[in-house]
Amino acid sequence: MFFQVLFRVLTSSDLWQATLQFGALLLLPALGGVISERSGVTNIAMEGMMLTGAYAGVMTALSTHSLLVGVLGAIIAGGLMALIHAVVSINFKANQIVSGIAINIAALGLTNYLLFVQTGGQGVPSLASSLRLPTVTWGPLAKIPFLGPVLFQQNIIFYVALLVLVGIQLLLFRTNIGLRIRAVGEHPQAADTAGVNVRLVRYLCVVSSGLLSGLAGAFLALGIAGIFLPNMTAGIGYIALAAVIFGKYIPLGAAGACLIFGLGEALSVRLQDTNISPNLLSTLPYILTLIALVGLVGRTTPPAADGIPYEPGAE
Amino acid sequence: MAVPTVQQAGPGQPTPVPNRLRWLRRLGASIGRPVFAVVLAMVAGIILIMITSPGSPGDRFTEAISAYQALLSGSFGSLQSLSFTLVYVTPLIFAGLSVAIAFRAGLFNIGAEGQLAVGAITASAIGINATTWPGWILIPVLIVAGALAGAIWGGIVGILKAWRGAHEVVTTIMLNWIAFFVADYLINGPLIDKNLANSTRPLPPQATFPEISVFYNNTLGAFLPKIAPATAYLVDVTFFFALIALVVYWFLMSRTTFGYEVRVIGQNPKAARYAGISTKRNIFLVMAIAGAFSGLGGVFHLMGQFPYYLTGSTFRIDTVGFDAIGVALLGHTTAIGVLFASLLFGGLRQGAGLMQLNANVSGDLVYIIQALVLFSIAAEFLPAIRRALPKWMILRTRPSAAAAGGVLTITDLPENGNGGAQNGEAGGGASHLSDSTVEHSPGQMQTTEEE
Repeated sequence: MFFQVLFRVLTSSDLWQATLQFGALLLLPALGGVISERSGVTNIAMEGMMLTGAYAGVMTALSTHSLLVGVLGAIIAGGLMALIHAVVSINFKANQIVSGIAINIAALGLTNYLLFVQTGGQGVPSLASSLRLPTVTWGPLAKIPFLGPVLFQQNIIFYVALLVLVGIQLLLFRTNIGLRIRAVGEHPQAADTAGVNVRLVRYLCVVSSGLLSGLAGAFLALGIAGIFLPNMTAGIGYIALAAVIFGKYIPLGAAGACLIFGLGEALSVRLQDTNISPNLLSTLPYILTLIALVGLVGRTTPPAADGIPYEPGAE
Repeated sequence: MAVPTVQQAGPGQPTPVPNRLRWLRRLGASIGRPVFAVVLAMVAGIILIMITSPGSPGDRFTEAISAYQALLSGSFGSLQSLSFTLVYVTPLIFAGLSVAIAFRAGLFNIGAEGQLAVGAITASAIGINATTWPGWILIPVLIVAGALAGAIWGGIVGILKAWRGAHEVVTTIMLNWIAFFVADYLINGPLIDKNLANSTRPLPPQATFPEISVFYNNTLGAFLPKIAPATAYLVDVTFFFALIALVVYWFLMSRTTFGYEVRVIGQNPKAARYAGISTKRNIFLVMAIAGAFSGLGGVFHLMGQFPYYLTGSTFRIDTVGFDAIGVALLGHTTAIGVLFASLLFGGLRQGAGLMQLNANVSGDLVYIIQALVLFSIAAEFLPAIRRALPKWMILRTRPSAAAAGGVLTITDLPENGNGGAQNGEAGGGASHLSDSTVEHSPGQMQTTEEE
């Protein structure tokens, strides 16, 4: 009985489409996390940046009646939250974990507060389809059985996320800039001596993590849900954080992790008529990450200077 | 202030203040920064209300002030609202102590919420299946079970940190979510009340604690005037357990060898190793005790507050575990500090609802205030402002006390980020910090404080 259901679910294109969709949603903030951590700034605030992005995206889309402006608003809002994290942790040398927690709390408070101010506690309506991120159908390719709906009939942001993935992987490991970013994260003193502007690199990396998280917020609110709800991210940012670590701070690794976590999430919705609890299935990302941390499947190690404020001249 | 000894002047250093006034200076140094943080956050809150409310600047200001009045009267304005506030304060104290004791060892316990959840859910699972047990057995069993469950949840973190070098921030976040989902599963599965959707069966009456007012009426009230509507005052007797926990924490930290060893590990793990202190064992113990504190917070809230059952996704939405980080930081990880910070955060949480109701300002404002408090404790705003000011504007009366206020909280914090995860040794990251940031290293502090 159970195996029949499992087989039916695993062979349905619907499951794999949902897996890739949720995976892409996780991938954007995870890539942001990779870039920020690689530059030596711990970022546990993707959750908050995503939530802010989701809110700003819906609100700007509603007030300007433009999807594009809405997406831009989401990206900028995520970037602004990240800018706070950058200022506080780079300039004021705050503990980056406290700052991250503060960002998450602030995002929750700010979005709910502004929602109350702007709608008087009514909440926002569902978005019209013209304000929702469209699904791209790749002509005849989408007609291929199984692969068509899975790969060639996804939301536009899915394809953007893939491009960003390739871009960041190449940027980090195939370019001069990437070398500098990694140097700043591993040994900022040496990078500084070699003429790299440590603060600037860290600023850019942290803000990019916010831009990507904001885009993910837009994907969630303007694409998948089509509405803004209070605390709608509900832990997605933390799963993305798990993906960063499980993926060993490598973009492609994080993408693999997002795929596994996405499958877990997609399965948890579809296995409800078996006796596997969706809640227990939802623990999968976290248990896998713990196992990776303990080193049973290859130890994951952060960049050497991750989380340590840079002091010029100190060594 | 993590270690009182750093405040004592060395033999060769001048003592600018007479000894009997020393305590006053120490007090000023330790409360200056938290008070600054709270005031800054409150002012920012006023500005936010003024930006988002309609009308002339005068109207906006009146709006902000009336919101704060509603906040204050809703949290501490009457005996009844105080009793509501204390309901929030009890778990905050437990969770705050949980975070604080970890800070003392240089560890960052973000897992208070998860530890609280496993404590509560374990007690609930036992309690609702042992309805026939008498209260004098059931109550201690539930308390011990909850504390133990929390201790295991925290202990896992300690073991992973001490023996495998896994960073505690990451492991606690993972364990939090595992705890939330397992709790969801249990609440909606084996423990569900068939008649009430999405909640467990309640604890049997003999396993619950009464309100303080009811307890008083049944004991002292036999001789003294009774409290009129006894059920109007929500706070239950578990608040006293929280006060006891504060005393236990103080004793553990400042009067026992264990507390001393923990402080040394937190201040300087290298020195601790040279002194022969077992860092691994102590890290495990600290995290287990931290977990036990949080677990107790969960158990007592369940046993003390009507309706004595848990509902689905309670813990995921609950913010006690995160508020506790602010509580521990704001309270300088001292027992008395945790008490006052819990009162502040509990008051904010309780007052929020009435502020929304009476002043029509969203109660979510308190989240923003809390986040700003965290920012300004964590960031070195005060020294930065000090540097930015022209020299003549800086008060020069007691530079050492001011400097102490500026530097102290940094040592309360464990090392930033994931630095410790890569070397198998416990606390390796903290030594990173002291290597690379001279300004904040614990060793340096002793010279900077008493200039």
